[in-house]
Amino acid sequence: MIERSPLAGLAPAAALLLAALFWAASALAQADNAAPEAAPTPIEALLLDNTELIQKSSRRTIAPAIEALAQSGLPNAPRVLEMWRDKELFARKSDGRFFQAERDGGNYNLSHIITGEPMGAVGRRDAKQIKPNSGIRAMINAALVAFQLSDPDPNVRLESLAAIERDPEAAHLTALRDALGRETDPFVKGNLERAERRLTVLFDEDEAARVAAIESLASDLSVETRATLNPLLSTTLRVRARSDAVEGNIARTLTPGEDGLSFSDAYALLVRDELAPEAIDASARDAALVAAISDGSVAGIPVSTLNTRAARDAAYSRLAEEGTVPATMTEAEQIALLDGFVFEEIYAEAPAITNAVTATIDAINSRVALYETADLALDGISLASIYFLAAIGLAITFGVMGVINMAHGEFIMMGAYTGYVVQLFIPDKTLSILVALPLAFAITFLAGVALERLVIRWLYHRPLETLLATFGVSIALQQLAKNIFGTQARPLTSPEWLDGALVLNDAVSISYIRIAIFVLAVIFFLTLLFILNRTRLGLEVRAVTQNPRMAASMGINPDKINMLTFGLGSGIAGIAGVAIGLFAKVTSDLGASYIVQSFMTVVVGGVGNIFGTLAGATLIGFLQKGIEALNPSNTLAAQTYMIIFIIIFIQFRPKGIFALKGRAAEA
Amino acid sequence: MTTKLILAAALAGSTALAGSMASVAPAKAQASCPIKVGVLHSLSGTMAISETTLKDTMLMLIDQQNENGGVLGCQLEAVVVDPASDWPLFAEKARELLTVHDVDVIFGNWTSVSRKSVLPVIEELNGLLFYPVQYEGEESSKNVFYTGAAPNQQAIPATDYFLDELGVEKFALLGTDYVYPRTTNKILEQYLKDKGIAEADIFINYTPFGHSDWSKIVADVVALGADGKKVGVISTINGDANIGFYKELAAAGVSADDIPVVAFSVGEEELSGLDTSDLVGHLAAWNYFQSADAEPNEEFVAAWKDRMGDERVTNDPMEAHYIGFNMWVNAAEAAGSTDVDAVRGAMYGQEFPNLTGGTAVMLPNHHLAKPVLIGEIQEDGQFDIISQTEEVDGDAWTDFLPESAVLKSDWKELGCGMYNTDTETCVQIKSNY
Repeated sequence: MIERSPLAGLAPAAALLLAALFWAASALAQADNAAPEAAPTPIEALLLDNTELIQKSSRRTIAPAIEALAQSGLPNAPRVLEMWRDKELFARKSDGRFFQAERDGGNYNLSHIITGEPMGAVGRRDAKQIKPNSGIRAMINAALVAFQLSDPDPNVRLESLAAIERDPEAAHLTALRDALGRETDPFVKGNLERAERRLTVLFDEDEAARVAAIESLASDLSVETRATLNPLLSTTLRVRARSDAVEGNIARTLTPGEDGLSFSDAYALLVRDELAPEAIDASARDAALVAAISDGSVAGIPVSTLNTRAARDAAYSRLAEEGTVPATMTEAEQIALLDGFVFEEIYAEAPAITNAVTATIDAINSRVALYETADLALDGISLASIYFLAAIGLAITFGVMGVINMAHGEFIMMGAYTGYVVQLFIPDKTLSILVALPLAFAITFLAGVALERLVIRWLYHRPLETLLATFGVSIALQQLAKNIFGTQARPLTSPEWLDGALVLNDAVSISYIRIAIFVLAVIFFLTLLFILNRTRLGLEVRAVTQNPRMAASMGINPDKINMLTFGLGSGIAGIAGVAIGLFAKVTSDLGASYIVQSFMTVVVGGVGNIFGTLAGATLIGFLQKGIEALNPSNTLAAQTYMIIFIIIFIQFRPKGIFALKGRAAEA
Repeated sequence: MTTKLILAAALAGSTALAGSMASVAPAKAQASCPIKVGVLHSLSGTMAISETTLKDTMLMLIDQQNENGGVLGCQLEAVVVDPASDWPLFAEKARELLTVHDVDVIFGNWTSVSRKSVLPVIEELNGLLFYPVQYEGEESSKNVFYTGAAPNQQAIPATDYFLDELGVEKFALLGTDYVYPRTTNKILEQYLKDKGIAEADIFINYTPFGHSDWSKIVADVVALGADGKKVGVISTINGDANIGFYKELAAAGVSADDIPVVAFSVGEEELSGLDTSDLVGHLAAWNYFQSADAEPNEEFVAAWKDRMGDERVTNDPMEAHYIGFNMWVNAAEAAGSTDVDAVRGAMYGQEFPNLTGGTAVMLPNHHLAKPVLIGEIQEDGQFDIISQTEEVDGDAWTDFLPESAVLKSDWKELGCGMYNTDTETCVQIKSNY
């Protein structure tokens, strides 16, 4: 059914098509449509000539229309091209003439494309907005380059450079060199120089200049540079008789049967170049033999003897001698014939160029490999800091207090939703995040205290019941969030200064939001260390977790400490929620997707130890990224392998990386 | 006039919900009144947000139909059940609809796995199901009309658009790890190879549901461009995971002009209320966009907003239900009965204007002929339609996998949903494959 070619012409729907046919016919007879309105100006006439192509709006057929405009020399051509690109052109269906248009209820108010004079109105279905797709927009941009490189606005010049890089043409080279002489803005000039070098590599006629340009790119790691150089090494496979003279720039010689070139492929190449007859395979040979059976024999050979391959081959070649079937070769003959030929991959470019490119690309690739490893390490650190942030609250409630809180993930979720709600009230993104962070802490702190007071307090030292109860709470909280916010993800938009990425080069980059999360993780780590080891509260927490009765006899209220500790752990989860929501999405199951990793982080790191959580997060983060890098096609599998590794790891170090020793271990 | 009608429809809606429709309906001989229409969409659980919209759509369509005199002189009564995003529960609820409530037709399901769960039940009890969501194909049940897109009505045209219009030479097929993306990518991979794209130029990646750590994958996709070929992403990433993906793309400074992304699971509903600034210029392929400029669409959108609120959007599966429901009404009128076999016979060749300005036709393979639209995401969460094809016939068995290229479905002439054209035999009638 696909034969009906769903994209045939990308035409509008049937009704529109009819209308299109109608105006196409009337456009041919333009004279009839000489309405009382002003005659088309030259640029309008030019558009009108190409109206069919422009309205069809397909990248495959649009080139002549763009070219006609760009090379018309008309002063308004660049402006019209820009309007076209920005979807500001409207075609009147009755005659295909172009206008600017403004929607007014059921009508379009038309105005002249250049002067903006009102030109009457048409019904909204009698005019069609021209919407070039991004392929066409790229072509228009490429055509605009010549006009825009001398635009007074440096941003326009940069845009036109970007257009050149997407779609470079030989004609751009001179325009670039002209612009280079004029350019004063140092940043634009830098980009210009880079673009000029790349186009020199591709299009300059002087080989020495090209080689020089290629070699100068050796320090440039960008994808664009690699994209410029790699195609220069493209090869074609050629067959040459051994006796013929060697010519062309040979990349490598292939031996049939090795080097990824099978005998049959090699033979097919010979057939392609008409150096050998078509190969006949076994079934075709047998069919030919059967067809030639007469009086119980084939070409005089009795059918009963044709029970071996050699016999059938012999019978076939006898048939071929008689001329009744096309000649062919046995396998042995084919291989012997192949021996007389050399199979070579030939570069399209001259040796000087390919040598320079090979050397440059090798240098670039080895550096890129190095940087990619660095990038992987950065990704690992980033993921580790996310896991750390998600798990650090748990490190306190589970690690220090020993409470298995399955609702921990839902505290993360509550923090994220807090961020979302705050943004509804405070539109300024930076301010809203600054408000959301403490507010998320406060809300989840209170939620944590409530959970501790109402549920967990009654279940200390009954881990199974705690697990079940908090699991129930987690499901209830998720459903609550679904009821309030719906199941669609809610936006938590980061402030503008966190948009984008820190780009070292094209191989190493990390988004600012991840850096921010990393910084947040470090701050949390230090703060918690400080609270637990340097403050009264920390001392009391440690005392209560190690021996509640002894602590109570020293005048510490274990009830209150437990409550505060649990609140602290939950509050931190809330802040983590804001951070995680910023980099991913806010949904009701946001927390659930982190709870397994969080427990894993705490357990692997070692229960009861902030350093352990840090080590656990680092191990898991790097491990996951490492496995992902080895198996790029299935991220899910990477997670599975990681969990298998963790299971094995726990077998050998059941208490995690940082095992508590001494009295604390028994608490 | 229209507003009056809509108001009346909305009023009727509340009474229908209260279940008091029976008393209003005038009786007629051919069918027992009222005619019951089953609505099998999850109203709770993970799929609730998408499916609740479809339940509301069905109630709106039924109310409008009742305003216009119902079907066969009978009023329609909606029987709404909640399978709660629980796949086995779908089968139970379908059985309940057919045996307890005796519904004449069911409109329902969203995920493929829920449809697979319902199939044995409706085939056993000879029910009739209208399934409104784009899916992976490779199925044709006698008792199901597939009003959503088959792969050749969404994935293949979008890929052609990438090849022809955007000049993409290297493809990254990114998907969530479940049956729809896996089957679609399998078809697309073969299709691309047939189009002369080398295996090395096709990068495939699967991620878990709700995946959020996209930095590595985005870096991999960007690095694909290193050999000078234009890279495009075909995304079957489902639901929330899309947000992290587009955010990471934007953070990496990749614009839709550099690496275009076409998504098969991102529609108006998914974009509503989201910050779409990171997504502007990326593409989606559907059979319907709310922004379609056609009169029936204007009426439909206006009626929907009037009933549900101004901020609500319409989407592709809603149009599928709109077409499916109206075809069923017309088929029942044509057959003079709501009997499943009679209606099915009358369904073939049914034509109904779709919301995008053309005409949808029901084919003997239980799929629709519909146009394929490609839209660019705009700031306001709507799509700017930049390409619209002729109607494309839905193909139950894809032509691009050797094992299903020989299969075809024709319930009208051959009475078989899985007919092998090579051996000229019906492989099987039931769809328990």
